[in-house]
Amino acid sequence: MDAFVLTVGTVIIVAVLLLLFTRAQQRGRLIALRPLPAYNILHDQIGQAVESGSQLHLTLGQAGLTSVASPTSIASLTILDTLAKDGCANGTPPLVTVGEGTLLPAAQDSLLHAYNEAQFTSGFQAGAAQFIAAETDPFAYAAGVTSVIHHARVSNNVAVGRFGAEMALIASAAERASAAQVIGTDDPIAMALARAVTDNVLIGEELLAAGAYLQGSASQLASVRVQDLLRLLIALIILGIAFYQLFTAFFG
Amino acid sequence: MSKRAIPVAIALGLLTFLVGLLTFLGLLLNLPQLSSLLLRWAGFLAAVALLLGILNLFAVHVGRLFKGNIYSAVLALSMVMVFALAIAERFDLVDGGVNLVFNLVQAPLEMALASLLAFFLLFSGFQLLRRQRTFSAVLFLLTVVLVLLGTVLANNRFIPAGIGELFAQIRQTIDSVFVVAGMRGILIGVALGTITLSIRLLVGAERPYNK
Repeated sequence: MDAFVLTVGTVIIVAVLLLLFTRAQQRGRLIALRPLPAYNILHDQIGQAVESGSQLHLTLGQAGLTSVASPTSIASLTILDTLAKDGCANGTPPLVTVGEGTLLPAAQDSLLHAYNEAQFTSGFQAGAAQFIAAETDPFAYAAGVTSVIHHARVSNNVAVGRFGAEMALIASAAERASAAQVIGTDDPIAMALARAVTDNVLIGEELLAAGAYLQGSASQLASVRVQDLLRLLIALIILGIAFYQLFTAFFG
Repeated sequence: MSKRAIPVAIALGLLTFLVGLLTFLGLLLNLPQLSSLLLRWAGFLAAVALLLGILNLFAVHVGRLFKGNIYSAVLALSMVMVFALAIAERFDLVDGGVNLVFNLVQAPLEMALASLLAFFLLFSGFQLLRRQRTFSAVLFLLTVVLVLLGTVLANNRFIPAGIGELFAQIRQTIDSVFVVAGMRGILIGVALGTITLSIRLLVGAERPYNK
């Protein structure tokens, strides 16, 4: 099939499905989300940091907002929005680190908005969001984040975004600091490494569904339903092709 | 949202839609002039953001330096030195200074960190088993052992050829069936999530730029 037709067809089908499910959600036909323990634990992170009198550290990975992995970073910024709001409301804003230039103004904007909304008395400090290293230096980024975890009295570590193998260094540093962890990424290698360190892992599409789980607007919930539907369709197509090939191998 | 913010939100939404649509059409209809123009603008903005990031890094560490953090002092000093070296290079006072620093300091340090990964992984594997002895944890360890044996025993002249080949075949099966299937499943999920999020951004249903 022509790539043009395939791309336009996919965009139109997804857009129409999104519209239909959004309308259905707005009319009260509620879309139920399957429970993801990592999101429940994410909500508890600020509370734990407040109780222990220490800080929550959130690192946003190395995918820029101008790269192909920007949806992953947008999902991680949604998580930052929620944690920043909760943190500022409880007097414990999170400490944010980023591994890519375009994420810094976005993170600062998110924090500033949360500071203003909570009328946080001590005022916004530029160091609340820190740039660590450019995306071309994953190990320099990991070393910088490791240093922040050790020096900033971090009790909870949330790493969401695009990471590579350097995830092992970040996760093990947080483990050595006895920090509770939530890790979310779309990279299969980083996912495997994260799974060895913590049970609270948001795997690929689960991270991209952050908006639906944390903010829950109609279009966000609808997009989760569309993803489920399309996944089912793709699974059926793959199974169909596999059975067809088996059939032709035996009887064809 | 205040009344004054509504026109700004609408303008931002329209601008996002327009730029997104033009980028999409540029890539879809293979219009390199249009898509490369927009990508150049994005690249320029990313470069400015990187510069701001470097200034942020410097400011944060200078602040820590005054609180007596010796590591921050080293970092700030190194930044100033490398910057001075780059300026000196620009005026032909030094030749290849920045490359020399990169090759002698940064590259070996990053390689050292990369080589530590194997130890961290091994440590994490043991930690996983200590934390929970579930079916998935045992499966994880079993897979690690089989893959390691498959790598080590293949073409090993001290081991009978049959045993080496068997473990190599097991490793090959794990790689080409289970790992590939799992990774494809994850990537399909990520692709679907990316498509839906991108369309929501394009039509303005998701507005991370306007809180």
